[in-house]
Amino acid sequence: MWYKKREEKEEKMSVTIRFFAQFGELLGTDISAEPTSGGALADLIKEVASKNKEGYDAIFDKNGAFREFVIIMRNGKRLDTAHAENARVADGDEIAVFPPVAGG
Amino acid sequence: MFSQRELERYKRQIMLFGNEGQEQLKKSTVVIAGAGGIGSPVALYLAVAGVGTIKIVDNDMVEQSNLNRQILHNERDIGRKKVDSAAETLQAINPDITIWAIHTTIDAKNAKSLVGNADGIVDAMDNFPTRYLLNDVAIVKKIPLFHGAIRGFYGQATTIIPGKSACLRCIFPKAPPKEVFPVIGVTPGVIGAVQATEVIKYLLNKGELLTNRLFIWDGMRSLAEDVRVEKNPDCEACGTKKERRRKRK
Repeated sequence: MWYKKREEKEEKMSVTIRFFAQFGELLGTDISAEPTSGGALADLIKEVASKNKEGYDAIFDKNGAFREFVIIMRNGKRLDTAHAENARVADGDEIAVFPPVAGG
Repeated sequence: MFSQRELERYKRQIMLFGNEGQEQLKKSTVVIAGAGGIGSPVALYLAVAGVGTIKIVDNDMVEQSNLNRQILHNERDIGRKKVDSAAETLQAINPDITIWAIHTTIDAKNAKSLVGNADGIVDAMDNFPTRYLLNDVAIVKKIPLFHGAIRGFYGQATTIIPGKSACLRCIFPKAPPKEVFPVIGVTPGVIGAVQATEVIKYLLNKGELLTNRLFIWDGMRSLAEDVRVEKNPDCEACGTKKERRRKRK
């Protein structure tokens, strides 16, 4: 049944991206994405965020790197922004992206 | 020992944790760093709960634009030191506790002595550099730090037990950019109440603390969530590598 497995691999994945606080206001709070293959997590967030320039700019700098204070969690576990550049998304992943707030 | 007035005042909460618990609160000292949006509800709730000694530290004066959220102060306090106004309000709401009002800027030189041998530090600051300073003091002195921060309708809180849980730097290695943040008074109300709850539970040694969890409040959607966080072994404030360096010295 090897051929069937290969077919499954090519199926679309279902990934949820959750933006919090200002990010959510600009980009929407819960977004379902269906990437076709295990692409880089950063690329998926970029693609989703690019629908709103202000939202994109809030998360990424001019060079397309995550701003240093951005927090990314995958399935409830913290992911370093440096690792997020290369991390691969998997089917069923829930990715949370949020900015820490600083006021008091 | 409690006076009749105290027993009457705390009657409904003694139902929850007994005279013993109330005694525990009475003999505790808590430092509240900041007498602003978050400091206000934290201080008020700790005062009415009967936390015996509250040290409140702030370097600011009361301004009109503070009054939409800083409920320790009122119209007549404009121009006064926030800590004086705070102490007056707190003492009026509970005359049976001790308030220390300290008008100063928390910096690297005085942070340790300001904290002294308090049982807990409440982070009610409005900037990350001072928060990081409090985090360092908490780690060195092994005193819990109760973090809270807000912006607009959003807030976050976590409890740091040095040596046991993720510290502020583990969770937020880099400070968000400085800004004049928008805020509606109810947000620090929610976050401050969460922090005060944490302090009370910690002092009573009851319940489950917000350690290794970041509480996130979205007032726009009335949604509260918590996300798991963990200690970062490479953390520049509490990481094991840093610990080894400290021991070598």
